[in-house]
Amino acid sequence: MIEPSLVYKALAYSSNIALMAAGITMIYMSTETFNFAHASKVSWGMYFVYTFYNFFGGHPYIYVPVAAILTGLIGVAMYLTFNRYLLKRGAGMITLMMSTLGADLILLALLNILADYLSRVHKLYSRQIRMEIYDFTVAGIPFSTLIALIIVVTLTASIHLFLTKTKFGIAMRATIENPNLAGILGINPELVYLTSWFIGGALAGLGGALLVFIMAGYPVIGQYLIVTMFAGSIVGGLYSIYGSLLGGFLVGLSEYLGIWWLSTLFGGKMLAYRQVIPLVAMVVALLFFPQGLGGIKWGKVAKVVRGERS
Amino acid sequence: MIELGQLYILIRYILIDFAIFMIVTLSLNFEVGIAGIAQFGRVLAVEIGAYVAGGLTGRILAYTIPELRQYSGAEYSNHLINFKLVDTINRTLLEHNALLSIGILILTLALAAIIGGIVGWLTSYPAIRLKEAYLGITLLAFGDVVMLIAQNYDPIVGATQGVSVPDPFRWARPYSFEAALIIALILAGLTFIFFEMLVRSPFGRALKAMRDDEVAAKVYGKDIVKLRTYALIIGSAFAAMAGAYYTMYIGSCKAFTYTRLTWTFWPWAFMMLGGTGNNVGIAVGVLIFVIVRTIIINYKTYLEPFVPFDPIWLEPMFVGVVIILLSVFRPQGLIPEKPAFTIKKRRIRSIIEIMRKQAS
Repeated sequence: MIEPSLVYKALAYSSNIALMAAGITMIYMSTETFNFAHASKVSWGMYFVYTFYNFFGGHPYIYVPVAAILTGLIGVAMYLTFNRYLLKRGAGMITLMMSTLGADLILLALLNILADYLSRVHKLYSRQIRMEIYDFTVAGIPFSTLIALIIVVTLTASIHLFLTKTKFGIAMRATIENPNLAGILGINPELVYLTSWFIGGALAGLGGALLVFIMAGYPVIGQYLIVTMFAGSIVGGLYSIYGSLLGGFLVGLSEYLGIWWLSTLFGGKMLAYRQVIPLVAMVVALLFFPQGLGGIKWGKVAKVVRGERS
Repeated sequence: MIELGQLYILIRYILIDFAIFMIVTLSLNFEVGIAGIAQFGRVLAVEIGAYVAGGLTGRILAYTIPELRQYSGAEYSNHLINFKLVDTINRTLLEHNALLSIGILILTLALAAIIGGIVGWLTSYPAIRLKEAYLGITLLAFGDVVMLIAQNYDPIVGATQGVSVPDPFRWARPYSFEAALIIALILAGLTFIFFEMLVRSPFGRALKAMRDDEVAAKVYGKDIVKLRTYALIIGSAFAAMAGAYYTMYIGSCKAFTYTRLTWTFWPWAFMMLGGTGNNVGIAVGVLIFVIVRTIIINYKTYLEPFVPFDPIWLEPMFVGVVIILLSVFRPQGLIPEKPAFTIKKRRIRSIIEIMRKQAS
């Protein structure tokens, strides 16, 4: 029988993956940039919480929003330093992707320098951070699970409200649909891109900062998770925030619970092959329904299921 | 001052890294720069080559020796057996037999090329269906998963313990490093000539046409699926050879050596620096990066007392800064791609002269 603690962890993990995948989709939708630096931003989110907690005390949870804002600012810095010029020049998808890879390497190096600094000067065990003990339970449910689920739900609702009810949200959608036409109507596309880089970065940091309460962190954790994040984003269809939230959640859940199920069938050795599951999900999604979950016409599916073939 | 002996050792390391990364980057350039395939999974072919050298050659050799035949199966990669086994093979078979050693080297490279080519053919399945970034992410994930499996499933190359590799340079002792270096440089040179000729051939020009405009290439009767598949097979075969050679020169094969950072992203950076699509540029790019890398790795101990971190992290930082600067300021690289002439320039000029005279 599956243990409840495992289910809680799986829910928290997949919610965080959903947040990260939504960040990737956000940036891809608006600027056509596949953001490799998302990996390091997730790790940075983790290390922000760890560093601030060790320096300023208090409860680690209070530093989660700080971490999200700071990684959002990293995203803004990335946009302002190079992405903006590349977009203006009309650079290809591969150049955009490679430039974020360069940023990822810089962020990775800086994070490792921070970890070295923490361990050599402040004698902290910073190569592997363990903060699961700071998690607490509310009514029998771990707070990490509760908060992650709440954030995903509120995020879905607030993104919906933001994109359909506010003026800037509508301007954002217009820019994503057709930047030139939106520009004619007086919308500043740069502001839209800037905002999406901020939100995308903040989502990565938020996911990472919350992840610190359910698993051990190390400087390259983002590089391990990025395959899962991309898988979530691609399964979600890459052109829909809701799709990516759902896709990330499903991929994370199938990874966590799928490998548990396989390990009960074939023994603990299977646990090492976790990453295979998101890859399979991604390849299946790309080859068989490239539009992703966001592109499936659910009405039609329901009709087929009910037997009313159109 | 640097001593002469130290400098010699440094140059040796620079040259052998240069030769191996040159082959990998040339193969990457062929797929990305010439054929326009978003190959973000270069590490896949490289690691396949490495596993061939680490897991297959040794097994074949063990099978040929009657006393060791029983170990040529799954037990081969058990680290308790493997190091004795490979040592026995090295001492009895390879140490005094230069001809056999070279034969083993060629056999391993050929096997790596064949299996790498098959892997390239398999990756063409997504490659002809997906585009640009989607394909890039898929190939990247393939490379990661193969490494993940090799790192956890002992019977391939001994999982995290790794395996020793039969040493085909042992006969040249005490100059085995020099032997490895010279053969690597010859291989890199041959690869360079091969890709230069290939780019100039009708096949290479068809690939360029496909890269520049797929629809136009189709209109002229080029089979896009076939072109892409061949490009992937050729590129992967060469990358696998480089991986196999690297493993034999290092002398051991550990799955986690083959990360996407070292074998996919670095070759990309080398290629971007030198000039995508230009083989001469690739040589320059690889040389610059390898020199900087080796200097950082070798002289980090001098910097260590002054900074509160490991100076090794300056290396990814340097690569990252170079990538960003290049993509913003010089996307064509140091030496941009030039039109490839199939015949000599002088001959083209004389033909133009003749045609002008005929016209007037």
